[in-house]
Amino acid sequence: MLNRSSVAIAKERLKALVVSDRVSCTPAVYDNICRELYEALSKYMELTEDDFNVEIKRTQVIITFTGEET
Amino acid sequence: MGEVIVITSGKGGVGKTTTTANIGAGLSTFDKKVVVIDTDLGLRNLDVVMGLENLVVYNLVDVIEGSCRLKQALIRDKRYENLYLLPSAQTKDKSAISPGQMKKLTSELKEEFDYILLDCPAGIEQGFQNAIAGADRAIVVTTPEVSAIRDADRIIGLLEQNHLHKIDLVINRIRMDMVKRGDMMSVDDVTEILSVPLIGALPDDEQVVIGTNQGEPVVGLDAKAGKAYLNICKRILGIEVPFLDLDTGNGFFSKLSHIFKKD
Repeated sequence: MLNRSSVAIAKERLKALVVSDRVSCTPAVYDNICRELYEALSKYMELTEDDFNVEIKRTQVIITFTGEET
Repeated sequence: MGEVIVITSGKGGVGKTTTTANIGAGLSTFDKKVVVIDTDLGLRNLDVVMGLENLVVYNLVDVIEGSCRLKQALIRDKRYENLYLLPSAQTKDKSAISPGQMKKLTSELKEEFDYILLDCPAGIEQGFQNAIAGADRAIVVTTPEVSAIRDADRIIGLLEQNHLHKIDLVINRIRMDMVKRGDMMSVDDVTEILSVPLIGALPDDEQVVIGTNQGEPVVGLDAKAGKAYLNICKRILGIEVPFLDLDTGNGFFSKLSHIFKKD
């Protein structure tokens, strides 16, 4: 019972695949996109990596910050 | 004026043809005039799934090339009085017809039929382009597997690029025993990734295999898949119906099994 369910593995693999299909790049390039977006935005606002999330949909890229209220 | 619905998936073998046959048969029982078209040139299957293979004389390519009249090629299903089949050609390939020709054909059929269902070939090449050319809406079929869902995501992207935005999802061959164990993605897992509205969730039902063996649709039968297909038809007609509980297990062990679900 300690090992991860195969669904958890499937979802993780699928999410990586779908994202790289949607922007036609490798998962590594996707990570770069996210990092560079983070770096660019953190020049202008207070961010931590935990607050910052990039979601790539089929027709839009959604960037969310969640750390605003403290 | 009828509606043209393309049934597509990207990946092969997920149940497009069976879904087309059952939705077609189901819709016809609601007093709608329905034609199902097999657009998979060279790999004719819909006629076999429907049990009409011995009645094929003319096919889709004959109609498009003008070798016969449309009426001559349409096969009437004796079991469902409002259901017609336009079979594919077994000896031609996908280049025999163009998207423009398909569009013209479907707009002609819209005059006479309430629903025109197009069984799309697997893949994203010309066969796919032909099938979606005249479509008003799409039903994307997938199974709860990584490869099928990945392909479904690509197909949805391509449909959107082609300005087809009315897209619904059918998830086929769900095994609730495996879902409960954490070994198969659930309906929620799949819709979370694909983010298109769900129009049907079908259990992996033996009855579908039996129906295909016999060339008989299962829609409307008193089996889980038969009910689930009928519900899809109702949703297409705009009737709101709750999703079936696919859980067949009611014994002690199946109740117990979710306690042991891995996270």
